[in-house]
Formats: sequence, C-alpha cells, structure tokens
Amino acid sequence: MTTTRPKQSAVRDFFSGFASFFRGMGVTAVNLVARRKITVQYPYERVKVSPRYRGLFYLPYDEEAKRLKCTGCTLCEQACPTNVISMEKLGAGKHGGVSEFTMDLGRCMFCNLCIEACPFEAIYMGPAYELASYDRNASVFRITDLAQGGAAAVETNIRTITDALAEEAAAKAAKAALAAEKPARQRPASPETAIAKAGETPA
Amino acid sequence: MSIQTTAPNRASQAGQWAAGILITVLLVAIVSALPLLPWQKLEPVTRFFGEHPLLNALIKAVLVATVIALQCLFLIWLERKFAGWMQARLGPMHVGWKGTLQTLADALKLLTKEDVIPAQADRALFALAPYLVFVASMLTFMVLPFSLTWVGYDYNLGALFALSISTVGALGILAAGWGANNKYSLLGGVRAVAQLLSYEIPMILVVLSVVTLADTLSLTRIVQQQAGLWNIAAYPLLLIPGFLIYFACALAEVNRAPFDLPEAESELVSGFHTEYSGMRFAIFFLAEFANNFFTAGFAVVLFFGGWQGPILPPVVWFTIKTLLLIILMMWVRWTLPRLRIDQMMGFCWKLLVPLALALFCATAVYLVR
Amino acid sequence: MTLTTTEISSPGMTLNMGPQHPSTHGVLRLVVELDGEVIHSCRPVIGYLHRGLEKMMEARPYRQNVPFTDRLDYLASLNCNLAMAQAIERIGNVTVPERAQYIRVLLCELNRIASHLVFLGTFATDLGATTVFLYSFREREKVLDLLEAMTGARLTYNWIRAGGVAADLPEGFAEGVRAFLEEFRVALDENDRLLTGNRIFRARCEGVGVIPREMAIAYGASGPVARGSGIPYDIRRVAPYDVYDRMEFDVPVFSEGDCLARYCVRIEEMRQSARIILQCLRELPEGETTTKLPKIFKPPPGEAYSRTESPRGEFSVYLVSDGSPNPVRVHIRTPSFVHLGLLPALLPGVKVADVIAILGSLDTVLGEVDR
Repeated sequence: MTTTRPKQSAVRDFFSGFASFFRGMGVTAVNLVARRKITVQYPYERVKVSPRYRGLFYLPYDEEAKRLKCTGCTLCEQACPTNVISMEKLGAGKHGGVSEFTMDLGRCMFCNLCIEACPFEAIYMGPAYELASYDRNASVFRITDLAQGGAAAVETNIRTITDALAEEAAAKAAKAALAAEKPARQRPASPETAIAKAGETPA
Repeated sequence: MSIQTTAPNRASQAGQWAAGILITVLLVAIVSALPLLPWQKLEPVTRFFGEHPLLNALIKAVLVATVIALQCLFLIWLERKFAGWMQARLGPMHVGWKGTLQTLADALKLLTKEDVIPAQADRALFALAPYLVFVASMLTFMVLPFSLTWVGYDYNLGALFALSISTVGALGILAAGWGANNKYSLLGGVRAVAQLLSYEIPMILVVLSVVTLADTLSLTRIVQQQAGLWNIAAYPLLLIPGFLIYFACALAEVNRAPFDLPEAESELVSGFHTEYSGMRFAIFFLAEFANNFFTAGFAVVLFFGGWQGPILPPVVWFTIKTLLLIILMMWVRWTLPRLRIDQMMGFCWKLLVPLALALFCATAVYLVR
Repeated sequence: MTLTTTEISSPGMTLNMGPQHPSTHGVLRLVVELDGEVIHSCRPVIGYLHRGLEKMMEARPYRQNVPFTDRLDYLASLNCNLAMAQAIERIGNVTVPERAQYIRVLLCELNRIASHLVFLGTFATDLGATTVFLYSFREREKVLDLLEAMTGARLTYNWIRAGGVAADLPEGFAEGVRAFLEEFRVALDENDRLLTGNRIFRARCEGVGVIPREMAIAYGASGPVARGSGIPYDIRRVAPYDVYDRMEFDVPVFSEGDCLARYCVRIEEMRQSARIILQCLRELPEGETTTKLPKIFKPPPGEAYSRTESPRGEFSVYLVSDGSPNPVRVHIRTPSFVHLGLLPALLPGVKVADVIAILGSLDTVLGEVDR
C-alpha cells in the first residue's frame, strides 16, 4: 500500500490549510467541553490496581496450621535474577520454615519469577506500590514487614515451627531411646568345635 | 480504570462551602455598598490629587500597575486551567480553591529564588532588559480605554502611541539576548526581535485601515463611533480579513504558538530569557501577559466595539470581550504546532504583508468611491 | 562582551545537544557542528544508558534473562521478551502451543499500539502541539490498564517466556480490548483531524529529513523508517513467526521518505494492529498457554537467531549455547542502534530546527541503543 500525496494549487492549499486549523480547533473544543477529565487527584484519590498487580511482596499465613506457608526451600532465592532474597532457615523438610526472610527491594525488578518458582504458594505480590523512602535501608524488608499478620504471625510461626521441630526431634529421640532400651548385643560363647577352638589363642 | 477515593472529609467540605458563601456574600455587600459611601467627604482630597499633575500621574500609574498585576494573576491561572481542560485534565487544583492561588504561590517561589547573573554578562543590560520590556507593555495601557472615563490619558494620537510604544519591547529583548553573554541567548533574542519587527508591518497596516475608516487616531473616538454597530459588522468584507491578519500578528507579537519559536522549550536554543531566573524572569512573564491583554484589548477597541454594550457597565463589557479574545488566543495556542523561523518569516512577508497592503488599498478605494 | 563578529559568523560552531533532552528521546548526545543555521557535521555519542545487559545475561540461566529483555526497548517490552523466547525455543527445540501463539500476537500488537502512541505524543510535542501528547497518552493509559490486568505490570511485563506465556488471559479481557478498540478508532480519526491534516504540521514534516530508498537499504534501516522510504519489508510478512501468517493485515508503505511518511506509516500501523487484535480475539483457540520447561533447562549446544518486527524495526536476538544452563553469548540487534547510524549521513545540510523533527521521526529508544 504505497500512497503519495496529491499536489494542490497554491490558492487551494491556502484555503484548505486555513480550514485545517478550524478542524483542529474543533477537536480541542470538543475535548474541552464534552470529554471527561481523566485526572486522578493523588493522594486524595487513588487508582485501584488489578488483581494481578505486582506490588509489594507478602508471605501468606496459614490459619489452620498457625504458621507461614514458607518452608525455606530457597527456590525463590535461586530463581531471583538480582539476588534480592536471603533467608535463615529453621529446620528442614516439610516442617521447616524460616526465621528470617529479607528482601532488598532496592535491587528488585518486580519480575514475578520468585512467585512463579515457589511450589508452596508461600510468596505473593500484593497491591502496595508506594514504596519510596528517604533512606536506602528502608527498602530492605524483613520477615516482620512481609509476613501476612506482621510480627505476631512471625512469632506464632516460629513457635509453631520450633514446636513441630521439637516434636519431630522428640519423636526421633524417643525412637532412639526405644532402640537404646533393648539390651546390648552380647556375644554368646563360640561352639565347642575343633574349628572354632582352632581360632582361640592358646592358654 | 477504577478509582478509589479516600473518604471525603465532610467537616472540611462543609467548612469550605461555608467560607465560599461567606466570601461571596461579603463581596456582593461591599460592591453594592460602595456607591452608598459618603464619597463627598473625600472631595477635597480627590480634588487635590486630581489637580496636582505629578500625584495624579503617580496614582494613575499605580492603579494601572495594580490592574496589570491582578489581570496577570487571573490570566495565568486561566491559561493553565484552560489548557488543562482542553487536554482532558484538570490543571492546578491544590493551592487555593480550584488552584486559584497557584499563581500567587508561583510568584512567591520566583521571589525567593537566587538571583543569578552570568559571570561575564553585561550587568547593566542584563538588569535593564526585563524592565525595558515591562515598561513598554505597561505604557501601552496608558491609552487603552476601558470605558469613556476609565482611560489613563485620552490621547488623540492613541493608536499611533500604542503601536510605537509596544515596539520598544523589542529593544528590551535585544538587550536580554546580548547581555546574557550566551551565544544561544543571542541567537534567540535576534530571532525574537526579527519576528516582532516583521509582524509589526501587517499589524500597522490593518490598524491604519481601521483608523482610516474611523477618520481618527484617538481610541476613545474609535469606540464612540461604534455605538450602534461594531466595526467588524459595519465593514465586514474589509474588517473580517483585517481582524484575521491582526490576530495572526497579535499572536506573533506576544510570542504565542504557533509563533513561539523564540521561547520554545523543546527546541534547540532556549531563547533570550534562558539566563534569567527568579524575579527577573517573573518580570518577563508579567510583561508577556500584559502584552497579551493589551493586544486583545486593542483588537476589541478596533473591531469589536470597545466598551459598547447593553445593561452591563462599560468596563465589564470591555473586560468580557477582551477575555473572550484571550481565550481564543489560548485555544489557538494549545491546538496548533509551532512554525519554523524561516516559515514564520515567509508567512509574514510573503502572505500577510501583501494581504495587509491589499486590504489598505481596498479600504482607500472603499472610502473614495 | 567577548564575542567578536568573526566569531559569530565563522563556520564550525560546535553545539552539544546534550544527554538531557527536553523531548523524551532518552540520554542521547548529539555533537553537531553548525555553519550558521545549517548543520555541517554530526556525531552521535551513546552509552549513557549502557548497563551491560548482554554480559549479565551470560551469568544467569535462561529463565532469569527474560526480565532483562524488558529493559531494552522498554516501550515495546513484550516484543523483546518474544525475541528472546523465540531464540531459546529455537535452540532448545521447544514447541509453543497454539493458544499461546495467539496470545503472544495479541499482546505484541497491543504493545505496538502503546509504543506508537508514545511516538505520536512525543513527536507532536517536539513540534509544539502539546495537546496531542495528552490525548495519545489518554489512549495509552487504557492499553496499559489492559496489560496490567493481564500481566500485573505497566511497562516491563516479563510475560512472554520460552515455551509460551506466563499465564492465561484474565476474565473480561476480551471485552475490555474490544471496548478499547472502539474508542481507539474514534481517537485516531480525531488525531487525523487535529494533527495529520494540520497545515503547520505538514509544513514542518513534509520534505524534511528525506531518506532516499538506496540510503535506507545501505544503512540497514528497518521498520517504519524503511517503510517510510518505500521499502515494503515487514518481518511479519517476510519471515512470519507465531500466527502472523494466518493474520489478514496490510503493511503500510509510503515512498516519500520524509518525516511525514514515517509518521503516516506508524499511524496506519496502529489501525492494522487493531485489525490483527480483533482477529486474534475471534480465532483464539482453547488449549495450553505454555510448554513446561525443565527446572534446570540445558539446551543442546548450538546457536539461534530470532527476528521480530518490533514497533521500531527489526529486533533480533542471537543466542549461543554450549549445553550449560547459562547462555554463552547473547547479542541483541536493535533497530534504534542502526537508525542512529543514519544521523551522520542524514543531518549535514539540514537546518537546526529540523533536527528535532528528524530525531523524533526515527523514534529511537536509548534503552535498546545502549543495552
């Protein structure tokens, strides 16, 4: 689709040019009078973000199990391109958790890869976007800032996990104790046969 | 896009409404009570000031400066709001009711800025330039008739005086461009002056046509002759093209789009007021808006019947008409893109000057027939 | 004052259109030598936005490199995601489900509209018509809201991955897109009345910055810059990817080669993008939205080159793999980088006031120039 512009005579050009001004002014007049003004007067009004909005992270809390869903598997830490996440694990396995979960949002690209990597649905991005601060350290978010339920949830989480781990440890210790209660293996005397006696040291 | 608003503060809203109603009632009361005051008691004072030549001039000058300052305050706010509404946004809303105190806030900000004079600048010229431009704009108000009695000096050569004095502003711009010791300021200043002087020619020719039709240079007499019918309605074939030519020249005189290359922000050379900051820049800005008001007022006087109109007081009619013309100027500014300097010059010399000359000849032929 | 008359009128006054521009072209520095009002020579200086993305990509596995591609051409980041994803798919022999292909085309065309709206706004502002900027961004806001509903982000989406897309369309997306396209058609017609037909706009753009056909080919121009000079080359037609071969759309080509031609190409492209989007919505099949890649993705050794038609031109990714989880080399061929090479040949002889118009009509994004 190749088009070239038509050539006009000078007089025609003058009048059509003039008319183009009026047409343009008509457009701005329509916008002046008939179109809605789209200003959203922040901070008195705010735009509602979509459900999938990628804002500040949060760690969901499981009400029934009384703990954060995070098990400390570090898959999110490995998935992050810019080393945002660091955590301190508390125990291991499916009863494990984290005692500290730090995100340095100064490095974060908000790319969503950590959320996609997590198999336990333990980290999500929420709608909060007003993260500007005067101090660079304020963009480092600890577990108490990120956990759903705040410091109380973190405390309960740690308690639940340590309890569960202690339970696990106790169960293991009990099993070990049970095993220890059995009498120690006593070697019975070897049989009175010539071959067996052959190994004995001479008196 | 859905918007969530914070809960409206009912108490503060009610308070704002109450304050607004109170202020309006007070203003209406004051304005209605003004004629009832015992002005006769002040007779000796007014006679003294009226007859003393120097004090009379001083008071009038102060009044004119106040009027200019007030209307600049209003016009700058109107420009920003109007531009906002045209662009589907609201304009200033925060400072004062619907942003009315915004200009005051900007003026205060400019006052508190550091006064920077470039190192090797010509200090005298640098300091003088804004005031040259401002004085030129202010002086034009001397002969602009807001009504039969509300005129600074009812000069019988009013049109000639207004046109010549407004050209003095070009001197100020040249001084600004030279005094800043900046190649780009100089280039911008030179371009601005070339534009101003070139667009004076068609403007003068159109004004000459109207003056010839009215047979007087006095602005008050021109308006008085339009008592029954506005000039533009009385001589439509001559004065409708005349007004259009005048309007284009007025836009160029005030450095407004589409002729705002000298002060365009997105162009290469930022123009003659690059090196100015703070109050000096504020003076330039005030001068530009004063000039704006003057060219619009001049057009109202020449073409649209000045202060003539039924029922309302003459001053109000003049102000309304001028404001409507200024709104037209703003409308054009926010619609059209910018002309390049050579296109601007070509437009003036190859189109407007021949048309204005033709118009003048046609006026002469019309009068002689 | 220290200037003498000879100094004012002598040739070779060096002017620095410094890294900071009033118009949003990014941090580009143009060192021009002026001879009065006319440009004598020009030297673009780039690198102010260099972040070493190509090198950073060598240190990370493939999945983690996709967010970096967002930051190249940040106005059309889904297209950049797509180029990278295609390269990875070619190396790893990954097939993309059909639904994912349709979604990719839909998202890229929406992004094309958003990018061209930015061009429209900034080009008009450079020429003095500030109102058009507000109107075009009002429309762009609607596109960004749609893309936010889909991906969660407004500019750097990170949504098109190797194997497909990150997730499916949200509810109500199709209706939202259709409603937007209705309003958009009205807005484009309004823009034609306001800007395209305007006598002053034409005077500023017609005959300005003419790139002859041979010069465009010689300097490797692509996209709207090439199609504005009469070269009917569109990668979506020449080497179709995803489902572009099933889409019915015209490729606008104008032969004059001036700023107005490039502007008209982009405006017309927006209309064609709307056509493609409607077709995608109509023909969208059910199915998977992605092929799952293994957690540690180790493609076989080899190299791949994937070409896409970004709003700026040919955006291509060259990927070399040696079997490890990280790529050995990623090179990104960006259209803006190549178009900036046109400037030293194009600008001499042009008036200073036209430089802004020409730079605007090339529509460069410094993120993809500097990487």
